[in-house]
Amino acid sequence: MYNQYKDRADFLAVYIREAHPLDEWEMKDNIAQNVCYPQPKTLSQRVAIANDFVKRFNFPIPIGIDAMSDPADHIYGGWPERLYVIDESGKIVYRGGMGPFDYHPAEVSAWLARRFPQVHTAKLSDAGETHEATATFGAMSANAPQKNASERHAN
Amino acid sequence: MRQALKWTLIVLVAILAIAFGVGCYFMGGPKDLYGFLRYARPQWHNTKLHVGDAAPDAVLYSLDGSSTFRLRDHIGTRPLVLIFGSYT
Repeated sequence: MYNQYKDRADFLAVYIREAHPLDEWEMKDNIAQNVCYPQPKTLSQRVAIANDFVKRFNFPIPIGIDAMSDPADHIYGGWPERLYVIDESGKIVYRGGMGPFDYHPAEVSAWLARRFPQVHTAKLSDAGETHEATATFGAMSANAPQKNASERHAN
Repeated sequence: MRQALKWTLIVLVAILAIAFGVGCYFMGGPKDLYGFLRYARPQWHNTKLHVGDAAPDAVLYSLDGSSTFRLRDHIGTRPLVLIFGSYT
């Protein structure tokens, strides 16, 4: 999705507090994939984990890191993962559900396809990579798409 | 009276046992059920934002942690896809 629409829309990933740190609700998948971090206590720790993430996946989307008091997370209900689309006037035009169960990048992709039908038509051949970046971010949990899970193992 | 109390307790325990079993089945085990109840359930509806609302501003740190920028700086020229998440 990012590659498909980056020339028409802006993307911003907001790095918030960990969903499954070692000292809270750790996940077997994270341990198996060596994604083992305690919940950061300082901004520098959160920044370090965000950088590890970017390096591991060559994550292409610009990232902003939430402060340690989690203001962006609190106001947007971002934890553990959530998607929004904001239009040019600053209004929310799509609010996704709470991840991972209600985290649906395909719904954002559908909104963008309605907004930019010419892009959607022109890039149909690229459908295989439709929402890899948005699906990877924050989705080390059990229901991450299989393609991304295998990519993580490869890394 | 004692008989009624006894059956009430039995039914309650049975309901709790079934709820525990179903919860464990869907969450993957007792530990994940606890994690869900402790960390996820309280936040299930923790945003009051809806479609049509103005997107609130927020101050975010750059990836090197040395500077900040405002979310609103990214709003205004094109639609903005916001992705909240973390590594884990």
